[in-house]
Order: sequence, then C-alpha cells, then structure tokens
Amino acid sequence: MPFPGESRPVRRILIVGGGSAGWITAGVLAARFPDRGEQGLSITLVESRGLPPIGVGEGTWPTMRATLQTIGVSETDFLRECDASFKQGTQFAGWVDGSDKDIYYHPFTLPEGYEERDLAPYWLEGAREASFAASLCYQTLLCDNARAPKLITTPEFAGLANYAYHLDAGKFAPFLQKHCTEKLGVSHVYDEIVQVRSDESGEISHLTMKSGDELSADLYIDCSGFSALLIGKHFGVPFVAKRDCLFIDRAWAVQVPYASEAVPIPSVTKSTALTSGWLWDIGLSSRRGVGYVFSSDHVSDDAALEELQRHLAAAGDLSPALSYRKININSGYRQEYWRRNCVAVGLSAGFLEPLEASAIVMIELSAKAIANLLPGCRDGMPRAAQLFNETFRYRWERIVDFLKLHYVLTRRTDSKFWIDNKRPESIPESLREGLGYWQHHCPWHEDFVHREEVFSAASYQYVLYGMGFETAISGALLNDADRARALEKMHESARRGRELSASLPGNRELLSKVRRYGLQKI
Amino acid sequence: MTNLVALNSQTHRVLRIAAARAVLGHGSVNIVSVIPREFPRLLAHYPIFFSKSSDSGQFEPAALMGFQRGENLFIRDDAWDAAYIPLQIQRQPFALIPRGGDAGADPQATLDLAVDLESPHIQAQDGERLFQDDGRPSPYLQNLSSMMSALVSGSREAYAFTGKLAELNLIEPVQIDIELINRSETKLQGLYWIAAATLKALPAAQLAELRDLQYLEWMYFQMASIAHVSGLVARKNKRLAGATPAPGAWTGNAIPG
Repeated sequence: MPFPGESRPVRRILIVGGGSAGWITAGVLAARFPDRGEQGLSITLVESRGLPPIGVGEGTWPTMRATLQTIGVSETDFLRECDASFKQGTQFAGWVDGSDKDIYYHPFTLPEGYEERDLAPYWLEGAREASFAASLCYQTLLCDNARAPKLITTPEFAGLANYAYHLDAGKFAPFLQKHCTEKLGVSHVYDEIVQVRSDESGEISHLTMKSGDELSADLYIDCSGFSALLIGKHFGVPFVAKRDCLFIDRAWAVQVPYASEAVPIPSVTKSTALTSGWLWDIGLSSRRGVGYVFSSDHVSDDAALEELQRHLAAAGDLSPALSYRKININSGYRQEYWRRNCVAVGLSAGFLEPLEASAIVMIELSAKAIANLLPGCRDGMPRAAQLFNETFRYRWERIVDFLKLHYVLTRRTDSKFWIDNKRPESIPESLREGLGYWQHHCPWHEDFVHREEVFSAASYQYVLYGMGFETAISGALLNDADRARALEKMHESARRGRELSASLPGNRELLSKVRRYGLQKI
Repeated sequence: MTNLVALNSQTHRVLRIAAARAVLGHGSVNIVSVIPREFPRLLAHYPIFFSKSSDSGQFEPAALMGFQRGENLFIRDDAWDAAYIPLQIQRQPFALIPRGGDAGADPQATLDLAVDLESPHIQAQDGERLFQDDGRPSPYLQNLSSMMSALVSGSREAYAFTGKLAELNLIEPVQIDIELINRSETKLQGLYWIAAATLKALPAAQLAELRDLQYLEWMYFQMASIAHVSGLVARKNKRLAGATPAPGAWTGNAIPG
C-alpha cells in the first residue's frame, strides 16, 4: 500500500498579499523550513503593485523579539530601518473616572511571584500605598521615567525588562521583504488575481493572474487585508461582527513630528480615554503616531476630528501642517480562518480595535501555528484546518473579552459612549462569568484553559486592579508565609525599579546610540 | 570631580606633574582598555580580553589586572610591578578634549591636549614640568602628546579590529571561574575572547581577509595572553597568603550562545 501522502505532498505555499501579514508569515515559514529547491518547500508571495498598506498596528508584543530572531534579522537593522522604538507596556489615562490622576499601566514584565504564588491577594488586603502595578512590577517606574529596557551593552533581543516595539508599519513590510527574498529564498511576484479557480472537490486549484500566468499551490495563505480575496470573496466565509460589544468603528490618524531632538520618547503606548473612544499616542524614533478611535454611533466624524485637534492643541502639538487620515474599522473575525487549502492571516482573518495591539501578535501566532500544523500531505489538511479554527476562534473570543474588560470597569458617566459600554447585553457571557468569579478570586493561571493564552492572568490582574476592581479576599485562603514573601517581593521590586531607573538610559538616548553604534549580537 | 582644561603654554608654564604618583593614583582599576599596537608589550604580563565600552557597546581590547572592581594586582608596595604600563594609565592625568569645549559627537573635531586641574598630582614644585622656561613643551609633555595621538589612532584601529571580529562571529563571551587559596570562588563576567572553534573552522577567504588586514597576528597575541590569568590568580593568592604559592587554578568556559 502506498503511503497516502505520496500522491499529494504539501510542497508549494502561495502567500497572497505583501503587507505585514504576508511578509511575517513568509519569514516565519521560510525560516522554519529552510531547504528550498527540489526537495524542500517552495514559498512564493504574490502582491499587486502600488497597493498602499493600511498602516495601523504600529505596536507589537514582546513576542516580536522571538519572531524577528527566528526569521534571522538583526535587531539593529530592524530598529534603524523601521524607525522602531522600545515599548514596555501601555499607559491608560482617563479610563476609570477621567480625572487628572486617573492613570494606570499594563506593563510587559510579569508581576512578582507570578511563576510561583499569586501575590495579588496580599496587595489587595494591604495598605495599597502604591498601585498594583507599581507595587508588584518594577517596570512601572521605568515607564514613568521613559527609560529604555536595556543598555547599549545589552546584546540584541535581550533586555533588563521585558519589551516589545513601536514600529513604522509602512517600513516594516519592505524591511521583511528584503530579508525574505535575499536571505530566505522566498520568491516574490508582482501580479494581480483575476480569477480564483477550484477543482471538483472545492479546493483552490490555481489563480489566474492579470499577466496571464497561472499560479498554483498546495496551500494558499490569504494575507490580502480587508479585501479578503480568498477567504471572503472566493469562499464566502461569513464575518462575525463584534460591533454590538466593541463599539469602535472609525479612527482619525495623524503623524506628529517631535518638537526637537531633545523631547523624550516614551517607552509605552499612551492610551487616553476621550468622550466617545480613546486616543493612541505612539512614539517612534522618527515621529509620533497619534489617532482617535471612536464610535460613529456616539460622535460624528467632524466632532471627533475637532476633539482630536483640541487634544493636540492642549499639548501644543497642533499645527496646520498636520494631515489627518480617516480609517474605517470593522470589528470582528471570520467564522473560519482555514477552509480547504486556504488559510487567512492578518486583516483578512479579523481585526479588533487596536487597544491592546493584538493585530501583529495574531499574525505571529497564526504564522507559527501554520508552521506547526502544516501536514506533509494534503490528506492531513482538514484536521489541521479544524485545529487551527478551534484555536483561533478561541483566541479572537478571548481578545474580545479582554478588550471589553477595559470598558466595563469604567466609572465614567460623562458621555453616552461610556454608559452604553456597561450595558449588560454588550458584555460577552464568558467575560461576565469571569468577572463574577473574580469578585472572590484573583485571576490566576488555571482560570484560562489553553496552553498558549493571548492574554494571561497577569494581564487581567494589571487591568482589573489598575482600574480599581475589588476582589473580596477570604482570609481562609491566605497564610503568613506568603504574606511575608509578598512584602519582601514588593520591597525588592521597588529597589530594583529605583536601581534600573537610575542606570538605564532614556528611550531616545538609547535609540540614538543604536543608530550610531548598533547593538552587539552577543 | 574632573576639570579638564586645554593646555596653554602661558597659563600652565610653571605647572608640574608628579608623574609616577599620578600613574599609581589612576591605577586602581581591574580592567583597562588597550590598543592593538600595545599587544606585543602587554603580552609579557597581562591577559588581554575584550570588554564592551559602556558608552557605545562596541568591543574593545582590555587588559585584566584584578578580579574585583578597583583591584589592581600589579600595584604592589606602592610600585607598578610590571615592565610595561598600559598607555591608558600612563597618560594620566591628561586627556584630549574637542576644541571649543563642544562635547558634541563630531568625530572630525580638532582635539586639544588637556589636563585635569582637579588632579591631586599637579603641583608647583618637584615633578615633571610641562613647559620649559621659554614656553616650549618639555620632553615629558612631548612624550605625552605622542602617547595621546597613539591612543586616538589606536582606538580607531581597535574598533575596526573588533568590529570585523564581531561581524565574523569570532568574539564570544567567556566566564572565568577562579578558586583562590582561601577557598573563595570568583566569577568574572562581562569578558569576551576569540572564539577559537569558529576561527578553526573559518573559510579560507575570510582567513585571508584577516591576514591581509594584519589582524591574525593581533588575534594570536590575544589568545596567547590568556595564559596570564594564572599569573593573576597567583598574585591574588600571594596577596591573600603573604607567601609565594604556585600558579593559581582557573577555568575559562565559553558561554553557550
């Protein structure tokens, strides 16, 4: 009996679309399966010329360090060529009550004791002289002081505090393209799809291109962005809209220059709650990216633009030279991501408001999952698709829960947007169940069932306790040994924060040095 | 505090430097950056590693003189116990500063020889004069001046050298573990050396490139110099015991990447 895969081996991968999603996927797959040519996988990326990238998603997660390292690019080149800067977390301002003092952090470094024992209950029962994040995470102080997460002597991709990046998405894709085509043997074609052809089983057999060429593959990866050429237009996989839960559907985006080279570059994404949405503020090494994401049901485009401009004016950043770009956001995801011999990655699979920078990390996770699930023969594809769909459905749902969490904990009643966000029918059942449980139990590892959760218990703790959520602690579940440990850890964390804050360079200072000297690989 | 001021034959005509004391006074360091042109003379006494410049993160060759911050095992009974002293220490208390006092990063700026007026080794009587009575530089100052230019061009050479080695993955981190006679153990971190295994397997074309750049010789000097770590351990043991023990025990292990 012949081995079943011999007849239909998976050898040719065709990626449709050349934005961040296409090139990250190409890089991850090409690095994982390095042998090209006769015996190896062939990886081709096709894109149409001159299609402008959407250019949202300028924030990454710390996972990007491992992704870049896997792909085999140098961190120095990446920082220089993508105008990237170091990001240590997100700062939320005005989300709880909108007062001047209303600021909390979701830092990337895990809370003290996170690998061993939950110390959150001991913070909750204590005097709470400092915020949850400031008490249990030394990184908070580094964020406050716009420090870099590392020294010029720290090797590439290593840090003294956990970190991710802010990057210029318009420069990131060309940067990866160069590496993928020159170093990893990815074939690159400029062409346009005219028609998608299927075989009798319903699988895609080939693509007819504008040039007259026919492109065929064993697996098609749809990275065509919002147009979702394969998963949407061809297969007609329905889109699951999340507008009833996450109201954001528009954004005004603007690029703001730095007043001078002396202005510090924050090492956090700043997220400021406004009347009908929130404002992102991301400091790249070259400029800032600022934008107001809002709900068109709650504010008109014009009024939103005016509010954004008022905000810029208050900080002295308003200038007639600024140009604003409107972006439509359709929050939601596909009912399936992998159908037949086609899998969607990036905006074609789904998009949710950029509150926790989930867009790029979902691309990384998808690319990694495809590499890990890829069967040797076509017969294995239905099972791979099923596993992928289950995992990613779960992940999109958990992201929705976590984003909504930021809104349901607000105490703001100054606008309909914030009031509506607390309407019970807008809150997913799974989140309601979680919130009920957390009234008497701090979020912990076992509260989440997957091996690789997008948002861990640490993220829930940072947001819940950052926003003043109360968990009633039962004394029966606490003990003196852990109480002493918690105090010790808090002291240690404060000491480490002060030490690092004094010894680490400013974010801008380190970025300038990287530009001049580069980072060492070791 | 330091107060570097450009030298001027009028203002500083009568200044004198207690040269030998200045060298000892500035010698309380356990590691000092060196330049390749010193290697042949350093090789007689010191182990030469690489360390990272705290300012730029670039690798620079550095002579190891002790195992703890501030510990120089070559200074003994108020004298330097080696026939050669690294230039970086010999030059004290002088430095080069950009003309006009602009501390900017312009590498093309003209540099002036400057002296640290806060140095306790400046005096009005005894010691080496900087200028002769007629205002011409003294032989001492002339020597210092050429030392400083050697350091400037040498540091450029050093960074080109280490840059090429790093590019070819020929530098690797090393952890030195030392066991002293009092049973205490010391681990030295932040040191790097030539990756011998990578060098052995280096393709011929790259090997030829290193040869043509005259780098091979420097690399072999550096690799040979590592043997002096046992001499350094012996000095430390001697200091601990007050006697003359046998060469010390140490191991150096490349830190796996």
